[in-house]
Amino acid sequence: MTLWFVFALMTVAAIFAVLWPLSRRGRADTGGSEVVVYRDQLAEIDRDMASGIIGAAEADAARIEISRRLLAAADQSGRDTPGQGSLTLRRGAAVVALVGLPVIASSFYLALGSPRLGDFPLAERSRVADANQPLANLVAQVEAHLEKNPTDGRGWTVLAPVLSRLGRYDDAVRAYRNAITYAGDSADRRADLGEALMGSAGGVVTADAKAEFERSVALNGDDAKANYFLGLAAEQDGRKTDAAALWQKMLAKGPSDAPWRPLVQAALVRVGGSAPGGVSAPALPDGAVAAAQDMSEADRGSMIKGMVDRLASRLKTNGDDVEGWLRLVRAYLVMGERDKAMSARADARQAVANDADRLRQLNEGLKNLGLDG
Amino acid sequence: MIAESGHYALVLALALALIQSIVPIVGARWRDAALMNVARSTALAQLLFVAASFAALVTLHVTSDFSVANVYENSHSLKPLLYKITGVWGNHEGSMLLWVSILALFGGLVAAFGNNLPLSLRAHVLAVQGWVASAFYLFILITSNPFLRIANPPLEGRDLNPVLQDIGLAVHPPMLYLGYVGFSISFSFAVAALLEGRIDAAWARWVRPWTLMAWIFLTLGIAMGSYWAYYELGWGGWWFWDPVENASLMPWLAGTALLHSALVMEKRNALKVWTVLLSILTFSLSLLGTFLVRSGVLTSVHAFATDPTRGVFILLILFVFIGGSLSLYAWRAPALKQGGLFAPISREGALVLNNLLLTTACATVFIGTLYPLALEVLTGEKISVGAPFFNFTFAPLFVPLLLAVPFGPLLAWKRGDLLGAAQRLMVAGVAALVAMALVFAWTYGGATLAPLAIGLAAFVIMGALCDLAERIALFRIPLSLSLRRARGLPRATWGTAFAHAGLGVALIGIVCETTWNSEYIGSMKPDDVARVAGYQLRLDGLNPRQGPNFREMVAQFTVSRDGEKVSVMTPSKRNFTTRGASTTEAALLTRGASQLYISLGDTSADGAIAVRIYHKPLVLMIWWGPVLMAFGGLLSLSDRRLRVGAPKPAKAAARALQAAE
Amino acid sequence: MTRKQRRLTLIGCALVVLAVAAGLVLNALRDSIVFFSTPSMVAEKHLGPGKRFRLGGLVEQGSLKRGDNLAVTFTVGDGGATLPVAYKGILPDLFREGQGVVAEGALDASGVFRADTVLAKHDETYMPKDVADALKKQGHWKDDYGKPGNMPSASAAPTQGAMR
Repeated sequence: MTLWFVFALMTVAAIFAVLWPLSRRGRADTGGSEVVVYRDQLAEIDRDMASGIIGAAEADAARIEISRRLLAAADQSGRDTPGQGSLTLRRGAAVVALVGLPVIASSFYLALGSPRLGDFPLAERSRVADANQPLANLVAQVEAHLEKNPTDGRGWTVLAPVLSRLGRYDDAVRAYRNAITYAGDSADRRADLGEALMGSAGGVVTADAKAEFERSVALNGDDAKANYFLGLAAEQDGRKTDAAALWQKMLAKGPSDAPWRPLVQAALVRVGGSAPGGVSAPALPDGAVAAAQDMSEADRGSMIKGMVDRLASRLKTNGDDVEGWLRLVRAYLVMGERDKAMSARADARQAVANDADRLRQLNEGLKNLGLDG
Repeated sequence: MIAESGHYALVLALALALIQSIVPIVGARWRDAALMNVARSTALAQLLFVAASFAALVTLHVTSDFSVANVYENSHSLKPLLYKITGVWGNHEGSMLLWVSILALFGGLVAAFGNNLPLSLRAHVLAVQGWVASAFYLFILITSNPFLRIANPPLEGRDLNPVLQDIGLAVHPPMLYLGYVGFSISFSFAVAALLEGRIDAAWARWVRPWTLMAWIFLTLGIAMGSYWAYYELGWGGWWFWDPVENASLMPWLAGTALLHSALVMEKRNALKVWTVLLSILTFSLSLLGTFLVRSGVLTSVHAFATDPTRGVFILLILFVFIGGSLSLYAWRAPALKQGGLFAPISREGALVLNNLLLTTACATVFIGTLYPLALEVLTGEKISVGAPFFNFTFAPLFVPLLLAVPFGPLLAWKRGDLLGAAQRLMVAGVAALVAMALVFAWTYGGATLAPLAIGLAAFVIMGALCDLAERIALFRIPLSLSLRRARGLPRATWGTAFAHAGLGVALIGIVCETTWNSEYIGSMKPDDVARVAGYQLRLDGLNPRQGPNFREMVAQFTVSRDGEKVSVMTPSKRNFTTRGASTTEAALLTRGASQLYISLGDTSADGAIAVRIYHKPLVLMIWWGPVLMAFGGLLSLSDRRLRVGAPKPAKAAARALQAAE
Repeated sequence: MTRKQRRLTLIGCALVVLAVAAGLVLNALRDSIVFFSTPSMVAEKHLGPGKRFRLGGLVEQGSLKRGDNLAVTFTVGDGGATLPVAYKGILPDLFREGQGVVAEGALDASGVFRADTVLAKHDETYMPKDVADALKKQGHWKDDYGKPGNMPSASAAPTQGAMR
C-alpha cells in the first residue's frame, strides 16, 4: 500500500514540474540575450589592444564588425520578445502532463515492474538452510563457508559432486582437488576428479583426466568408474581392442546386478566387441561412427547435425520415445543451441503429456540434464 | 520498495523527458514563453528522478538485495563496501544508468545556469537533450533494465571477480562518461542552432564552457584509464591502441578541435558551419565510443549477436542520432550565414590548421579501429590493427601539429605576421636545439629520433612560456610592471599556456618511456641481485601471507643504488583460493618522475620466481601532461569573461556552484 | 587575396593534409596488419616461416612445459590441428591449460611458432574474440563459456552422467 502511495506522490511531483511554468504566464523570465555577449566582446577588444594582441587598425575593424552585430542583435531581440502565447496551447500542454504522464509511466511500469515484490536486503534474510531453497542457494552457502574455511575437507567432498552436476566443471575440479588434499585420497575421489576434468574438456578424456583414472585404479583395481573411463580413453585414442578388453574384463569381474552393466555393454557394442548377455541398442550405427572418426571437423559437425535433424523429425511424427527426446535435448545442449533445446523440451512435454509415467521419466531425465523447471 | 521506487522513478524520468522533447519546441514555434520554460522545470525534475533511481540502485547493491537480478549477477555479499558501490557501474545495466544520470545532470545544469541564454535557444537545447535522454531511457527500460527482479531471490550473488576490484577501474569510467556525455550539450546546441536557422558568435561563447568542461573530464578520464592499465595489468604498458582506448581518444581529438574552432567562431564569427559539424561529430563519436564498448562488438562480434534486441536498438539509436543530425545539417547548414574573412597566415589560419590535423588524426584512429570490424563483416577475414599502424599514421600527423602549436597564440587575428611570431619564438627554438644537442650527446649512438622528439617537446613547452613572456613583456619593462601585467592577464591565456605546455610534458614522458625503458626479465632466487638502470634489486625472500579472501606470495626486494639502500619494494601474487583466480600486484617505486616497476610471474619447482623489472625514465610525465592540460582547461573555464552576461546569482550557494561549473 | 583565393588556399591545404594522411594509412595498412589464424588455418594456408601472424586457439591440456629461465613451450589446438608454441617470458595471470589464448609471432624453420606476445583471456568472462569465433565455426564453442555456472552445461553429456 505504501508503495502505491509513494508512486502517487512521485507522479504528482512530476506533473507539478510541468504545470508550474505554465501557471506563471507572462512573468516567466525571458532569458538572456546576445547583446550582452557583444558588449563584452567590445570591451575585450580594448583589453586585447592594450596587451598588444591586435594592432590599432585591426582593433578598429573588429570594433566596427562587432558593433554591426550588436545593432543587429539588439534589433532582433526587440522583435523576439515572446508574445502572450495562446491559452489553448497551454491548456493542451497541461492536459498532456495530467493525462500523458501517468499513462506513460504506468503503462511502462506495469509492464516491467514487480510491484508485489518487497525488498530483500541480505541483512534481514535468514541464512538458515531450508529444504525449499533452490540448489544454487545451498551451493552458494557452502561456497561462502569454504571461502572462510578452505581446509574443511568434508565441505569440499560434499560440494564437489554438486558442482559437477551443475556443470561447473572447473569449480568441481578444484573442489575435488581440495577434497583430496584435505579429506584424504581415495579411488572414488580420483575417479570423480577425472570425470570432472573430462567435463571441463567437453567430454574428452584428456591426459590429466586419464592420469587421475590411472591413479584411481592404482588405489582400487576394481573401481568401476575409473575402469570404464580408461576404456573410453582407449576408445577415443582409437585403440578399440584395448577398450573392448578393458570393458570385457569389467563385465566378467563385476557383479551381475551392477547398475553400470547396460552402459558398459552398450559401449562394448560400440567398439565392436561382443558382450555376454543382453545388449541395448547402440546410439549410432557402427559404420556411421567409424566414418565420423575419419572425417574432418567440419564434416563431422554437419554429419552430427544431420543426425540430430533426422532424430528431430522422427520424434515429430512419433513423440512417444522419451529416450529419443532426451537424446535430442542433450544434443542441442552440446551443440550450444540452448534455445532449440528449450523448445525441444516443450515439444517433448507436449508429446507425452497424456502419459503420466512417461512424463515423469522425461522430467527425471531433463533434471539430469540440468533443465528442470 | 526501494527497488520498485527506483524503477518507477526511472519510468517517470522517461515520461518527463518525452514532454521535455516536445512541449518546448511547440512553445518556441508559437513564441510562448511559458511553454518554453517547461523545458527548464522538466529538465530539473528529470534530474531529480534519475538521481533517485541511481541512488536506489546503489542502495540495493550496498544492502546486497539479491532479489534484483542486476545485483545478483554483479555483486556478492563478501565484496568490500567500496566495490559494492563501484560495482554499480561495473556492469552494462548500471553503467547505462550512470550514463543517463550524467546526461540528466548536464541537462539540469543548463536549466539551472542557462539564465544568460536567449529563451528560445535554451528551449531548443533542452528539447534536444530530451530526445537523447528519451532514447536512452527507452534503451535502458526495454533492453538493459537494472531493476528487473527475481521472484525467488538467491542467497548469494555471482560476482566476486578479484581482477575487477580495483579503485582505478572504479573511478575512471564515471570520468570518461562525464566527458562523453558533456559533449551532448554542444551537440544539443548545434542541433538547436540548426533548428533555429540562426547561429552567431554569441552561440560559440555559450557553447564553449560546456565543451571545455566535457573536455577536462575526458582528458582526466583517459589519463586515469591509462595509468590504471599501467599499474594493474602488470606489464608496464600505458597505451595499447586497444579499441576501447581508441573509442575514448576519438571524441577527445574531435572535442579538442571543437574547442579551438569554437574559439574562432566566438572571436571572429568565422568557421560557423564547420563548428556545428564538429559539435555533431564529437558527440557522435562519443555515442559510438559508448556503444562500441558497451555492446561488446569490439571484444566479440559474438557478444553482439547473443543479444540481438540490444544490438539492434543500439544501431537504431546511432542511426537516428548520427544520421538524423547529419541530415539536418546537410539541409539547414547552407542557410547559415557565412562568417568573417581572414588571411591564411593568422590566428584563425593557425586554428584551422589545428582543426585539420586533429580531425585527420581522429579519422586515422577511426579507420584503424573500425577497419578490422568492417573487413570481418564484409569478407569474414580477421585481421588485427595494432600499435604499428597507429604509430605510422598518428605520429606523423601530430608532429606538424606540435610544431604549429607555439605559433598559434602568437599570431594576430585576421592577419598575422609569421616572421614576427618566429622571431618571438627564437628563444624557444634555441632552447629546443640545445635540448636536442644535450640529449643527443648524452645518448650518443642510441636512438636518433628520440633527441629530435625531445627537442620538439622542449619547443612546445618553451613556446608556451614565450607566449606568456611576450604578453607580460618580460625583461623589456621593469620586472614589477611585468608582474602586474601577469596578474592582469586573462586566465584563459594562462590556461592556453598550461594546456599547450602539458602537451610537451606528455611528449617528453612518452619519448623517454618508449626509448630508454630498461627491463630485466628472469627468474630469481632469494639473495639474487638484478641490476636495472644503475639500481641493484636484491630479492630478500618470498613470504606467504593470508589476506581476507586470498593467499598471497609477497616478494621483498631491497633496492639500492651505488651500494646505498634506497627503499624496499614488495610486489605480490595473489591467489583467490575458492575461485582459483590469481592476480599480480605490481610494486612501484617513484623516483622523481621515473619509476621502478616490479611484477611477479610464476614460481618454479626449484623455488625461483619469475620476475619482471622495469625502469621507466620520466614515465610519470606521461600523466602529468594531461593533468596540466586539464588544469589549463580549468583555468580557462574559470575565466570571468566566459560567463559574462550572467545575471548575478542571488544566493552564495549558486555562486559557488557556478564557479565550479 | 580575394575571398575565392583564400578559400582555395584553405581547401588546397586540407587536400594536402588528407592526401598525406591517406597515404600514411594505406602504407600502414599494407605493412603493419597482422592476420589471425588458428592451427588448422596455418596448416591449410602453408604459412611460411618468418611471416608474422596471430595464433589463436585453446592451450592443449598437459602441453605446458617450463624450461630454463622463463622459457615455456605449449601446444595450441583448435580441435582440428595443433601447433607447438615457444615463448620466453612471463605468462599472463589468466593463462591456463584448456583455456583460450592468442599469441603473436611467427613460425620458425622447424615449424614451431615463436611467440613474442601471449594474451590470455582478459578476465573471467572474456574469451579472445578471434578464438571464440574460430572455435564456434568448428563446433567447439560451448555457449555457456562466457558465464561460468550460468547454464548447467551438458557438454560432456554423451560420456558422462550415465554412471550415476
